[in-house]
Amino acid sequence: MTRCLRGVMGWVFVCLPLLSYGVTVTDDRGVTVTFERSPQRIVSLLPSLTETVCELDQCHRLVGVDRYSNYPAMVQRLPQVGGGLDPSVEAVVALRPDVVLMATSSRAAERLQALGLKVVALEPRSHKDVQRVMMKIGQLLEVPDAQKVWRAIDAGVSAAAQSLPKSVRGTRVYFEVNQGPYAAGESSFIGETLTRLGVKNIVPADLGQFPKLNPEYVVRANPDLIMVGQRSAAGMAQRPGWAQIRALREQRLCVFPVEQANVLVRPGPRMAEAARLMADCLSAKASEKTPDAKGRKP
Amino acid sequence: MVRSSALQANALCVRLGHGRHQVEVLHDISLTLTRGRWTSIVGPNGAGKSTLLKCLAGLLPYTGEVQLLEQPLRQWSHRERARHLAWLGQNEVSADDLCVWDVVMLGRLPHQAWLAPASEADRVAVEQALKSTQAWAWRDRALGQLSGGERQRVLLARALAVEADVLLMDEPLANLDPPHQVDWLSLVRELVAHGKTVVSVLHEIGMALHADELVVMADGRVTHQGACSEASTHRALEAVFDHRIAVHSLQGQWVAIAQTDH
Amino acid sequence: MMPTRAVWMGLVGVWSALALAALGVCVGSTGFENLIGPLWSPASHPDQAAMAQQIVWEIRLPRTVGAWAAGALLGLAGAVAQGLFRNPLADPYLLGSASGASLGVAMALVALGGGAGMLGGVSMMNGGVAVGVFSSALWVRIGLTGAGFLGAVLAVLLTLMLSRGAGHTLRLLLSGVVVGVVLGAGTHLVLLFSPDSLQAMQAFMLGSTAFVGWTSATVMLIVWLACWLLAGLLARVLDGLSLGDSTAFSLGLAVTPMRAALVGVLALSTGTAVAQTGLIAFVGLAAPHLIRSLIKTTHAHLMMLSSLAGGVLLMGADILARGLIAPQELPVGVLTAVLGGGYLLWLMHRGQTQTGGAS
Repeated sequence: MTRCLRGVMGWVFVCLPLLSYGVTVTDDRGVTVTFERSPQRIVSLLPSLTETVCELDQCHRLVGVDRYSNYPAMVQRLPQVGGGLDPSVEAVVALRPDVVLMATSSRAAERLQALGLKVVALEPRSHKDVQRVMMKIGQLLEVPDAQKVWRAIDAGVSAAAQSLPKSVRGTRVYFEVNQGPYAAGESSFIGETLTRLGVKNIVPADLGQFPKLNPEYVVRANPDLIMVGQRSAAGMAQRPGWAQIRALREQRLCVFPVEQANVLVRPGPRMAEAARLMADCLSAKASEKTPDAKGRKP
Repeated sequence: MVRSSALQANALCVRLGHGRHQVEVLHDISLTLTRGRWTSIVGPNGAGKSTLLKCLAGLLPYTGEVQLLEQPLRQWSHRERARHLAWLGQNEVSADDLCVWDVVMLGRLPHQAWLAPASEADRVAVEQALKSTQAWAWRDRALGQLSGGERQRVLLARALAVEADVLLMDEPLANLDPPHQVDWLSLVRELVAHGKTVVSVLHEIGMALHADELVVMADGRVTHQGACSEASTHRALEAVFDHRIAVHSLQGQWVAIAQTDH
Repeated sequence: MMPTRAVWMGLVGVWSALALAALGVCVGSTGFENLIGPLWSPASHPDQAAMAQQIVWEIRLPRTVGAWAAGALLGLAGAVAQGLFRNPLADPYLLGSASGASLGVAMALVALGGGAGMLGGVSMMNGGVAVGVFSSALWVRIGLTGAGFLGAVLAVLLTLMLSRGAGHTLRLLLSGVVVGVVLGAGTHLVLLFSPDSLQAMQAFMLGSTAFVGWTSATVMLIVWLACWLLAGLLARVLDGLSLGDSTAFSLGLAVTPMRAALVGVLALSTGTAVAQTGLIAFVGLAAPHLIRSLIKTTHAHLMMLSSLAGGVLLMGADILARGLIAPQELPVGVLTAVLGGGYLLWLMHRGQTQTGGAS
């Protein structure tokens, strides 16, 4: 009986805002934010949210971004209001936004809300998150075909996976995020992309998302291919014992310059592009199977 | 008998502080301290006694001339000077973590080759120094575990271990109780009997009056220098302390008595 | 003749180092595995022997030896620092070397990343200066190691310049603190240009022996030997200084130039350790204390024993760092803080419960 009552109440609450033709969204902090009409002036303080807004074709609604949002190109012409974690509150307020999109991990939310701005905190961290965030923003901006946009992205990832020759499936990959060495595990965003591409990650899910590994582990695991950002790539072959790793012996290294590394690391609507970047490199480097020193085929 | 001078100062001026805040602390001091004698420097607080002593040891920059054993101080090499002049400072940091033996052995540094271990002569000197200050029993204890008076005796032993011709001591009786003060007195007498020169800054007037010579200072100048037995020295001493003390003879020694009514 | 206590302690230090080295060879990404058998008699364990050989000789042994060498460098530097400043709280990073190394590494990280992070819009510095400082080719040649070393040494030089020589201990100390704070702020500023480097920077700040190979280990051992010899020559100065500047001078020691030389030893040893293994805390502070709590001795013995203690401490921390959550690693700086800090806490507790002693 109480359940029925709760259901009725729920419908009433859902219908109420509809009755007022407003928009309601619950963000990742669990805060429900109501708008009388879909926000027209948006400040985005997280690059992946900026990219999501533009992917949904609402780039024209952006009036300000953080200093790290740099895609697509038109966003670079917008006024920058500081970092994502430490935005210039004054600059944000001066832009008179209808909503501020930011990460959940920023302290500025309380300050901005205290000044009367509406804050929606969303932070995509996995593949599922990207879809969820895109749907939320679609709902917020009243974009009717958000689902279609998502399906296109998802299809892009599948296409990248299918573009890989059969011989590449099952390649054992090590993805290094930073010197340390910090690796991307199976459960991280990058790891999920790799899994969808059909390759194996030498770092299993139980080690966490970005574990700091003992470099000996990588030597023992002997990955077939190493993916690394340009910054960390310097001096990899000189690490003690690493020269023997198959990937380094046979020069099967995917070194991503910084702009590409950004695409790979940010969970956002460019994940199809990320998958394509990885797939291209895998096809190029992992496909030729050379026999090892003892003449045995791997 | 004409004795040579151990220390001599000519037109000595010392300024302390830097830049615009320099203050002249010693004004144009000239004095000669003879060898083989014990000289005490006395005076009210702020007279510049410690400053003068530090200058004679070469520890402060000065204008004018200082001579050690009739040679300009500036011309002595570090090692030679260290062998002939020992210094015992006032309220200086002490090595709490070193044991007493090692501390006193540091006094032998000027005599040791740079990396050489302690020689037999060094060991003998250290033992002698420790025994003469009654500190031999604690030679294995850490300096930090000793009381103030015990620590002072060890530092004194360190200065004695140098076996220098000239000993400069600034407030050597700090923390020492009366029996040990008397011990110090006998020690100095013995040193002087062996031809060493001792210069001490003392604020215990009674002790200072046991010296051979007294240098009376006030306001950065020397007001009197003379033998402790002479009346003129006593008058000068009384005058520099505003006649709040009077010097009298008692059982063959000179004592300073407080003048409570004036 | 009965060996003195110092010699006994030295032997203990050497034997513990050897024992820990043997342990270090057995601990790796698979946790603890007994490799002594396969290594000693490869014939009886043929399958294990080959892999074991490579892993041990190329990875584990140089890493363990390197950890000892870094610990020895820091232990030596700590003893020198505490003698120079006559302060039991002194550590090798006092003269700004830690902040200097951080700044160097931060600049190298930003440069190696192509100066990216200055995204879109207007960059903070106009073209010329920024590009010059961050031009990649130069930094690749120097590498992170070189950048760290240069940063540390230049910071100490800056401190010496600020204090106008090594004449006054207090002025030296003050300049060191100022340089440390200013360069630390500079590091944060540089990292603003490249927030992606934050994780790598953190790895540096917490210290890591992960990539120490034979080259690094050899470099550190050679530098340690040189610094130990030089510091050994100057040990008497530290002893004299412990009685105060005036007494040291009166004992014939040329205080200022020798103090400058000791600062040089400090810079060289700290710079080398930091360049190879990052900022490892507490080893320089705890090792001399550990020795002093066990024995009262002159600086000549103290510096050797402090090196041995530092080496053993860091080796132990390194083994724990790799063994506790294998195949993941804990930052070794956290473990040295736990081990070293824990020991200091116990010392303090013991000091408090021991009442009495001469006043």
